[in-house]
Amino acid sequence: MIRRVIPTWLFIALAIAGVVVLLMSYEFLSQRQTRINPKQTTIPSFEKLGQGVKRMFARQGSDENPKPAMFWTDMRATLWRLLVGLGVGILASVIVGVMMGAYRWIEAPLSPIVMFLSKIPPTGMMPIYFAIAGTDQRMFTSMVALGIFFGMTQAIYQAVRDNVTDEAINKAYTLGASESEVIYEVIWKQILPNVLDCIRAQIGPAMIFLIAAEMVVSDAGLGYQIRMQSRVLNMNIVFVYLFVLGMIGVIAEYSLLWLRRRICPWFDGT
Amino acid sequence: MKMFFQSHRRSAVLASLCVGLSLAALSGCGGSKPASSGSNASSSNGSAGSVAQSSSGSTAKPATFSLAWSEYPSWSIFGVADEVGLINGKEGEMGSIEKKYNVDIKLILATYDSCITLYGNSQADGVCITNIDILGASGSRNSVGILPTSTSAGADACIVAGINSLDELAGKSTRGLEKSVSQYCFERCLEKLGKNPADFPFSQMDPEQAALAFQGKNDGINSIMVWNPFVMQSLRSRTDSKVLFSSETIPEEIIDMVVVGKDSLSKPGGEAFAKAVIETFYLMNKRMADPKTSDETLVGIGARFAKLELDDMKTIVQQTKFFSQPSDAVRLFGDERFQKETMPLVSKFCVKYGLTPQAVELSYGDGKGMMEFSTKYVSDYLDSQNQK
Repeated sequence: MIRRVIPTWLFIALAIAGVVVLLMSYEFLSQRQTRINPKQTTIPSFEKLGQGVKRMFARQGSDENPKPAMFWTDMRATLWRLLVGLGVGILASVIVGVMMGAYRWIEAPLSPIVMFLSKIPPTGMMPIYFAIAGTDQRMFTSMVALGIFFGMTQAIYQAVRDNVTDEAINKAYTLGASESEVIYEVIWKQILPNVLDCIRAQIGPAMIFLIAAEMVVSDAGLGYQIRMQSRVLNMNIVFVYLFVLGMIGVIAEYSLLWLRRRICPWFDGT
Repeated sequence: MKMFFQSHRRSAVLASLCVGLSLAALSGCGGSKPASSGSNASSSNGSAGSVAQSSSGSTAKPATFSLAWSEYPSWSIFGVADEVGLINGKEGEMGSIEKKYNVDIKLILATYDSCITLYGNSQADGVCITNIDILGASGSRNSVGILPTSTSAGADACIVAGINSLDELAGKSTRGLEKSVSQYCFERCLEKLGKNPADFPFSQMDPEQAALAFQGKNDGINSIMVWNPFVMQSLRSRTDSKVLFSSETIPEEIIDMVVVGKDSLSKPGGEAFAKAVIETFYLMNKRMADPKTSDETLVGIGARFAKLELDDMKTIVQQTKFFSQPSDAVRLFGDERFQKETMPLVSKFCVKYGLTPQAVELSYGDGKGMMEFSTKYVSDYLDSQNQK
């Protein structure tokens, strides 16, 4: 029967079984590939992956002048770019989105532009970003921020129009709220869970734009290292980096869900 | 109900992640035994292009072998050979040389570093690559250099704007493909010009994008180390730019060539593939040398090489010296300087930048080593020509 409830222990057991089967088939493929070419690095064994991890965390630089391990240098670069880009993008799209939802005279000139630009894949616009924003932090920030801006603005402005009822606004006015109070106390608080969901949905695309840009131009970062290591055929490092990218996504997803439950408990209940 | 499902899912995800991680860690520590390598290494068929029966001649269905190439004067030749019908780059379709050798050649056009990844991961049987980058790849796959196609004599260049001397470049960042032929050329030229490469920072950027950014007069990009066509395009579109130094400083150190995996060569049809590629290359060189077909061929290569016109192509061919005769190939791979000086330098570079964990064993025609420079197939071609 569709959607029949299964016991919790079975659900967990099946979830574990899925991962175990995945790991076992990986090991099988790896051994098969090694039989074909003993030197292969395409599907590294778990032992080789372990060596990859070791190299990622190996100490760099000299004793007098130690440098952080490769992995930490890359993580710092990527996370910083991602956070700054997301921060700028979210802030801008919340402001513009709420304004568009609140005032028709802002909505009118902006909505066709936002609608259209949100459809252009930002990775396709990469050469333009290089040309106008250079190749340093500014480029990564604008890439990620603009990459998520249009889609997110669109979603937030729609949330304001659909989720904030006229009654709520009129009630606030009747009770003597000023315009800015309506925007903050009514509109903002009402759409906050939507904003958090929007962010959750945009982290994936933001990572795509960032990794793509890092692959083309960068001295450090997860995308840079993935391209570099795959050219020198160290797939054992590439795979671990991909795993890390997955973990960043999982952690971001669950922390945002947790945050939403925490600050908007009313939203899940309804 | 919804809450119940949610909590289900969360704990399941967490539990399976934990179990997965500990499993991976366990089997990593336990040291899964590498599969036996020696005795039955050749027992299983390779993944690409195996045929039903061994070399029983022209009646068997021809095996398919793939050649990954990127746009470069002496490699775009294969793209033009496809156009003039010597080979047909589509899988399952045959050009005249493919028919002669009864082998199906599949051409894969990709960017330079994608070609390396494809080849190293056995997704291509052969690859167009330089003598620098192949050392990294041969760590994953035993390789045979079957054909040197050209050497860079100005085709790799450091182009600057607003910088007038090497001393002014010191401390300023140069952009280019890191840990590759570009960085090798950069460092070797500086060394030869009496400078310490450590004083000249080099940072990673895709060569095509670096050239575009340079042409767009981007802040902070005043020096790039790229290869043709980017050299020519950049010089042309920025009047204030000039070549600071180029691969002319290090003649015959950067060798462009065709490399085939040893595993692919030993497959049925593998040697025919090597010979077909070699014959195609020399036939195309004849067409370039012949006054009747020369311009037409150059225009063809230009179309497959960044859409360059005839005059540009004539310059390009100057900066990229083709090994147009089989004797050139035999001379180069047998050359004392190539074996005793150039390749050890390259090998040192690869270890220094982690392209290879340790020096790759090189060999010159005795069938050994992780990377072998072989003139066997070129010599075979030469013999077959002499018999005619």
